[in-house]
Amino acid sequence: MFGTLFLKECKQIAKSMVYYIYVVVFVLFLTSQFSSGLTDYMQEPKPGKEHYGSVTSHEPSAVIEKTLAELVLEASDNSFSTYPLGFYKGVTLNEQEEQQVKFIVEQCTGKSWDQTVQEMERHFSSYERDTMQGALQAQTSYSVVPKEDLSYEEFCGFMEKVCAIVGPGSSYRKESLEAGVSVPMTYEQAKEEFEDLCSKDQITGAAARLFCDYAGIILAVLPIFLGVTRCLRDKRAQVSQVVYAHKASALHLIGSRYFANVFMAFFPVTLTAFVIQMPYQYHAKTIGVAPDILAFLKYSLVWLLPEIMAVLAVSFLITEFTENVISIFIQVFWALGSLFSTVTLRGDFGLKLTARWNLWGGANEFWLQRKELFLNRGFYFGLALTALAMTVVIYEKKRREGETLYGKVFKRRR
Amino acid sequence: MEKYLSVGGRFLCRQYAPHLLLVLLFCLMSGFFVSFRNLNASQAAKVMEMYLAFTGILLMTPLFMPEQDREIWLLERSKAMPLWQLYLVRVLEALVFLAVVVAIFVFLMKKGGSVFPVGKLWLGAFAEILFLGSIGFFVSGITNQAVLGYMVSVLYFVANIGASKYLGKFALFQMMKGDYGFAPAMSAAALAFLGGGILIRERRQA
Repeated sequence: MFGTLFLKECKQIAKSMVYYIYVVVFVLFLTSQFSSGLTDYMQEPKPGKEHYGSVTSHEPSAVIEKTLAELVLEASDNSFSTYPLGFYKGVTLNEQEEQQVKFIVEQCTGKSWDQTVQEMERHFSSYERDTMQGALQAQTSYSVVPKEDLSYEEFCGFMEKVCAIVGPGSSYRKESLEAGVSVPMTYEQAKEEFEDLCSKDQITGAAARLFCDYAGIILAVLPIFLGVTRCLRDKRAQVSQVVYAHKASALHLIGSRYFANVFMAFFPVTLTAFVIQMPYQYHAKTIGVAPDILAFLKYSLVWLLPEIMAVLAVSFLITEFTENVISIFIQVFWALGSLFSTVTLRGDFGLKLTARWNLWGGANEFWLQRKELFLNRGFYFGLALTALAMTVVIYEKKRREGETLYGKVFKRRR
Repeated sequence: MEKYLSVGGRFLCRQYAPHLLLVLLFCLMSGFFVSFRNLNASQAAKVMEMYLAFTGILLMTPLFMPEQDREIWLLERSKAMPLWQLYLVRVLEALVFLAVVVAIFVFLMKKGGSVFPVGKLWLGAFAEILFLGSIGFFVSGITNQAVLGYMVSVLYFVANIGASKYLGKFALFQMMKGDYGFAPAMSAAALAFLGGGILIRERRQA
């Protein structure tokens, strides 16, 4: 019974226009993000270069310097990024608040605000900021030296004051400082990084992480439409009552629909991943590294499948419950919120729907945060199964009583 | 005039009300996600382009929704009033709501001490939000599926986050960069989408 229904569902999805838009958008998005220039990063680093990339540091002196740099940049633009409810909110201060922040910078640096701004302008003018790499280098290498006698505790006290002025969820809160800061990598670190890329990641692992990072963004949105379309199809075709009368249980009906959608949504993901991994596999062999040919499949299964499952299950639940398209707005908002609430593009997975690792390599750093990613994806796997179970219950209720809890609830109530 | 007011009023109460409620909720929640205080022109444009843009999708895409039900469509086709007039009344209603929502946001930012060119921002935001909404309107019109309308307009918004440079005058988020020159082209495209959508629906045979 389940197998027959599952195949029928797969065939129906394959005939749907929404599915073809899903596939085309997914493939276009991924191919546009993956540039062939990435293979340049697979060369062993040579000494004497100006820039080797960046690495996260928890050293108090680095945290002070980089946090002050961010504060100077934000204060000079009077535009502060905050995440009060996990979503991005830009904050602009009034003149009095602006002066207070500038005074705090002066107390931390021991220099006047104008002097600090002049130093910042001098730093950025020495880089070609109209190129992506130049802008990135300028940003990574910019730091503000504090006054000599500023202790870390004193600095934290000042940052608490900044938080009080800017509002909750800023980059100056305690948790943000504890997460560390991005600092330029030295030659030795870059060499170690390259060795990890070859031994731990076997090249394809790093590419797989980058693939999952990009794919995760678009997969937070695209499956919503598959779920909503499927759940509304019976209503649209006016066959809900016929399906209700089918001898198959709600678990079989909803389960086959759901897993058919998961399968059809995940299929183009693995196929694209497989095609995208091929040049990296080839390149790894040319530099004498045995590539992990299953890396894309492993990463996709752990990183992307739970996300697809959760997005689909929540869209099934909301759409079966409300019998309208409201799930699109709720879930698009959730996806964009998750995307814009990202403080760092490397890790800090928490319970974010889109897990970000927008970095080529960083094997050691990733290995340290791997457990957090597993917890995150485990949570979404659990959420998907819970939402699916709730959908089955709601569907069964609609079948038995011919009513939902919302919208048409009271329509047929005796 | 009376019959137009009557069909407009009925659409508002019976079909459009949940969508308007959603827009209202979206606007009421704005305080949690965007700041209205002390913004400069670029920051004010960001509020309009990154947040308020969704109201265009919410207001314009569901305008053909009632006729997705074939029986309703057949019934409406049998009436004396041509369908294009019915659709036009709905579009005008949506335009009024959109204009009001954009004006409220402009007012809130101005009240918060923000400094920006009021007229230019209102016009630019209205054109851009209408354009985004008209994509959903057009797609839902030609496919007879509101979900596809939402999908294409949402994906157009997402595509602009990374690929706006390829879309020329039809790229979103241009006011944030201080460019308001897109408004005539975008308004014309929005009108073409609205007119085209109505025309295609009018000529639909089955």
